[in-house]
Amino acid sequence: MITLTLDQVGVSYGSARALDSIDGTVHAGEAVALIGPNGAGKSTLIKAILGLVPVASGRITVLGVSPDQARHHMAYVPQADTLDPDFPISVGEVVLMGRYRRIGWLRRPKRADRTAASRALEQVGLAERARDRFGTLSGGQRQRVLLARAIAAEPRLLLLDEPFNGVDAVSEQALLDAITGLKSGGTAVVISTHDLALAHLACEGVCLLNCCQYGFGPAAATLTPERLRATYGGNALELRGDRVIVAHS
Amino acid sequence: MLHRLFVEPFTYPFMARALAELLICGTLAGTVGVVILLRRLAFMTDALTHTVFPGVVVGHLLSGDSGIFWGALAAGLLTAILLTTLTRRREVAEDTALAVMLTSFFAVGVVMVSRQTGYTADLTAFLFGRILTVTEAQLLQSAVVAALVVALLAVLRRPLLARTFDPEGARAVGYRIGLLDLAINVVVALVVVASVRAVGTVLVIALLIVPAAAARAVSDRLVVIVPLAALIGALGGWAGLATSYEASINHGLRLASGGTVVLALVAFHLACLAAGTARRHRRCTAMVPVRPAVAP
Repeated sequence: MITLTLDQVGVSYGSARALDSIDGTVHAGEAVALIGPNGAGKSTLIKAILGLVPVASGRITVLGVSPDQARHHMAYVPQADTLDPDFPISVGEVVLMGRYRRIGWLRRPKRADRTAASRALEQVGLAERARDRFGTLSGGQRQRVLLARAIAAEPRLLLLDEPFNGVDAVSEQALLDAITGLKSGGTAVVISTHDLALAHLACEGVCLLNCCQYGFGPAAATLTPERLRATYGGNALELRGDRVIVAHS
Repeated sequence: MLHRLFVEPFTYPFMARALAELLICGTLAGTVGVVILLRRLAFMTDALTHTVFPGVVVGHLLSGDSGIFWGALAAGLLTAILLTTLTRRREVAEDTALAVMLTSFFAVGVVMVSRQTGYTADLTAFLFGRILTVTEAQLLQSAVVAALVVALLAVLRRPLLARTFDPEGARAVGYRIGLLDLAINVVVALVVVASVRAVGTVLVIALLIVPAAAARAVSDRLVVIVPLAALIGALGGWAGLATSYEASINHGLRLASGGTVVLALVAFHLACLAAGTARRHRRCTAMVPVRPAVAP
């Protein structure tokens, strides 16, 4: 079953073209990594899928409808370091935010909401930290809490913006395990990253981006040296046998 | 002693009305102040307290003291809309837009009030408030504003929390950030308008910022910070008014009530800062690992 369809998608900021002719599909239970250098348009594509930036050309459909109509089926995980670490909020309260749309504006959270939040926190291995203040956690743990918030929303399409940036090995594994768990439950996942190794580990598919698309398909077939050189501009690429190293400027 | 200081002065009707006004405004401003603190809107709030000033003057010119509330309300709402629009556009830096609005609106107010014959007295009253002349009708206005603001905050508490903590995440789940920002600017404008009569346009910023900052200094939990800020706002008003009365009547030392209220709030803030520092120190001490005994 197709969860996300990108059909010749183009996005502009004023007169500047940020993305052009992005094409591809993501199926239920499948993960796709958006790979490209900084400024390639990975975050822009995620925002377009969420319906936060307008699509200038082409079409995005989520579960057969427009992103605006499918908003309740999507969840977004931002980079944890963009949030205020001094904010007086507990880990449990952050995760419960994932249930806000279900809870509504006035009524109190039901037992089902609290259970969903606790389970989500368990899935990222932080159940014992529920009462701690969000800002007291390490960067990797905060990223896991934000993933738990998204899990609590029970999404059918999960979008993560650079979730592995500055994350320690323990948190990285916890994030990978939680993403695997979500996929086995039928959730489609889109992850922006420039970590090729993690893209291989977490995702079946990759989309190579640098304003336009340089490849979309199974990781093994798409991550070829030629395509990577084209995506990253060639001069920051070293090849050692069958290994590929991309150096970021 | 405590009874004479904190209860006796308020047996006079004008003092009881002043206390009621300060309790309403202090509680309200303390609560709304938490949102201002978390959204880091202190400068925006300061701008709003100044832009309300020409409204206060026009209201007074048109229908005396009873016009102040409506003039301030009109200017406050206009400012809330302008601020929301300007801060969403990227052509002008946010702080620049605020500074231009703050000074130009305030200058309009000063120019208008300077054409009055009792210029200095009027200016002082607008800037520093006239709490002791609050009427029952004005009290009712403040109570209605307070009820409106509390109801709005209760309804919007979840979207506001989501927007304040993670604006991008809040947009992603479908909250209308522009409308939420407008709502909070209107709420701040309403509190400024309601409090302007009590402490004036210059000192109202203290009522909005200091109680919330004091409460934040002693707690990391919103469920504690919000009621504590409201309590500090109310107690600061009470203590300031009582001190001002005691000094003026029993000791011949004339203290302006608005200024004394602000000083009482600052005293609460200093006490909370000290308590917060002591609490953190105790926590750090408790977390120092015990050095293992060295074998002889």
